[in-house]
Amino acid sequence: MRRRWARAGWIYGTLLFFGLIFIGPFYVSFLASLKDNPLEWPFRFRFAQVSPLNWRAAWKLGLAGAGDPWLGGFAPGAKVDLEVTYFVPQGASAEPPRVRIPRRRAGAGLGAVVDEPFAADYAKVGALEVVARVPGTLAEKPGTFYRYRIRIEYPGSGPRIDRLPMDLELSRSAFRAGVRFVSATLAPNRIERRGRVASWDSLTPGLVGYVMKNYVRVFKESKSLSTGQSLFWRWTVNSFFVALVKVITNLLFAAMAGYALARMRFPGKHLLFLLMLFTMMVPGQVLFISNYLVLRDGIFGLSRLFGAPTLLNSLWGLILSGVVGSSAVFIMKQFFESIPKEIEEAALIDGASPAQTFFRVVLPMATPALGALTILVFQGTWNEFFWPLVVLTSPQDIYTLPIGLLSFRNAYGQVGDWGLILAGAFLSMVPIIVLFVVFQRYFIEGVSFSGLKG
Amino acid sequence: MRRARFVEAVYALTFLLPYLLTLLVFFVFAFLRTFYFSFTDYDLFHSPKWVGLANYLALFREPLFVQAFKNTLAYALIVTLAQTVLALGLAAVLNQKLVGITFFRTVYYIPSILSSAAVTLIFLWLYQRKGFVNFASAWILTYAPILATAAGLFLLLQALQVIWERRRGLPVHFFDPALATVSLLLAGAGTALLWWYGVVEPRSDVVVNLVWLNTRRTWLGIPIPLWAIILQNVYTTVPTFMLLYLAGLQDVPKNLYEAAAIDGATPWQQFRYVTVPLLRPLTFLVITLGLIGTLQLFDQVALFGSAAPLESKITLAYYVYNNVFPSAATPRVGDASAAAIVLALLTLVVVLLQRRFGVSERGF
Repeated sequence: MRRRWARAGWIYGTLLFFGLIFIGPFYVSFLASLKDNPLEWPFRFRFAQVSPLNWRAAWKLGLAGAGDPWLGGFAPGAKVDLEVTYFVPQGASAEPPRVRIPRRRAGAGLGAVVDEPFAADYAKVGALEVVARVPGTLAEKPGTFYRYRIRIEYPGSGPRIDRLPMDLELSRSAFRAGVRFVSATLAPNRIERRGRVASWDSLTPGLVGYVMKNYVRVFKESKSLSTGQSLFWRWTVNSFFVALVKVITNLLFAAMAGYALARMRFPGKHLLFLLMLFTMMVPGQVLFISNYLVLRDGIFGLSRLFGAPTLLNSLWGLILSGVVGSSAVFIMKQFFESIPKEIEEAALIDGASPAQTFFRVVLPMATPALGALTILVFQGTWNEFFWPLVVLTSPQDIYTLPIGLLSFRNAYGQVGDWGLILAGAFLSMVPIIVLFVVFQRYFIEGVSFSGLKG
Repeated sequence: MRRARFVEAVYALTFLLPYLLTLLVFFVFAFLRTFYFSFTDYDLFHSPKWVGLANYLALFREPLFVQAFKNTLAYALIVTLAQTVLALGLAAVLNQKLVGITFFRTVYYIPSILSSAAVTLIFLWLYQRKGFVNFASAWILTYAPILATAAGLFLLLQALQVIWERRRGLPVHFFDPALATVSLLLAGAGTALLWWYGVVEPRSDVVVNLVWLNTRRTWLGIPIPLWAIILQNVYTTVPTFMLLYLAGLQDVPKNLYEAAAIDGATPWQQFRYVTVPLLRPLTFLVITLGLIGTLQLFDQVALFGSAAPLESKITLAYYVYNNVFPSAATPRVGDASAAAIVLALLTLVVVLLQRRFGVSERGF
């Protein structure tokens, strides 16, 4: 008995340990995607964005800035108060920091092309007010903690601005005398110039805008050059569109082909089956040259009849070569072979045509296989990288998510903006993870179906 | 009767029509055309010129192709071997009737359902010079003395307990779980004491500054960036194959283990002489699927992009793509097609080997 408990303990311990190993990298990179500097060294598990105090402050400041506690902003009529604490050592003069609203463009890459209004043109900074003086020590030096209140207002009227950046700068003499930034209601995003400047990306971020800053940036900073729409949003829509169309065509055509292969007699059946197995093993890189040319010339020039000289750089072109895949047909064939023939035969004897039998009798029975197939095709299409990379090159509006992520990586990887890249990667996973958690059973069935193929 | 046959064949053709069309245009035609291109000089724009076997002969004299060929083989063999062994080992450990296994199954599965693009970007971050891989290695090296002490103490205590129990005439095997729990707790307490009194201390001079990506260095003859991709892929595929094995293990009759245990087989012997032979057909499947999948490695190479030098990461699949769409050069479709045919032949060899040895195995 004792031994059984101990044994169970070890098993669950091992399970947990491996779970930690498999999920660990995703966990730490998710944390990094929240950080201001994802490459900070040493890696910290506790930082500004995971502190509840900052959450509260961000919520309140978002509300004060634009009445939006989630995404924040800076709108006419706003009155934003921030309290900051500075340490002034004994003997030094209590010179307050200088408040500056910088004109900072959003990001370096795709976002830099869009002109946005600057908060600096509309904000009015009030005089610093000393709220409290508390004697104390910092790094074993005696002195006084000064708490200042900064008030920033948006008088009159004007546009609603996304961000209200702010720098607090100590003069060189004050810094040399030992005056130091200690804390603020909302922790600054960066400390610059060896501690002389505390810098906020936005004073009024709102909860989501502060904690998931990089995620908001993914949507806001990748703007299409032609339409001004969010590129990331566009890619998501494209991915959904391609995946849904391919799911529908695959379900229908694979069920039809699978049924024919499983139940009907026709010349060349065995040959077709062998060919199907063969296609499932041939790498895409062997086939794409010709397929690229076929799309380029518009399916042997046929698409010209419909006014499309080429099918490159179009989602329909991307879909066309994959309307029905061999593995989908294979799964359906295996399934139809596993269910009894009697019901269909009864329908046929009652005078139903094969088409009627198929659509009215057989398809409704195939729900489990169709469910598994839906998941497999959706996941496969959502994650597909190689073929979209060949077909979709320009403009960027036409990309699907994986290709979009590659362009993110090329645009932001050079400048080391990993927060944005990681946030994009995590966002692109959300639909698949949701799908997986909801339809887990079908995923597992899919593996056991496709596992049959050897 | 013949008429009925004919009608059935017409119906079959109608049902198969969409599939047949895609198969003919995007597979059969594509395959034949690639085969044809491999004997020509072609640049996507002017009409192809027949050159016979020249492309194939030139390929094996081109250093980049030879590198791609070597990389692909090394990658496929190492990843397949590692993922098969690890997956089987994990599955054997986890093969228990457990409450809540669904939860763990979900967790284990997640890395393998995600897109290669997203996962590769995450791993690119992990592999940065100031990334988490280097950080975690530094942490482990720093605390290595502590961990080693704990492990040593654990083994020592376990050995003492087992000897004690056996002296008392109780048959216990070395990794008896109840004793191991006691040893673990005692080892933890002992290590904490030793640490407290300063007998063992974490190292303070550890610096890990491994360059994973932007390097031409090799380890065991394989470029470091390729090792980075190997690690990533083993990591994401092990869970899938492990679940395949777990499903297979459910079918192994329990009484075989009971019989083996009665005959005095140790857990290792049970694994070696019951589990492994019974799972042989599944292992062949796992190896074949693994090889076919790994031979096609492309996404990770493309996503590593400029982070790593080309020859340290290039594979056959990427070589093909890179020659059809080179940046700032004329497409060399002939060479690319020849390389693609080599890739297809490699895959075919794997499949034929599996047909030859895999299917006929009965498991005993």
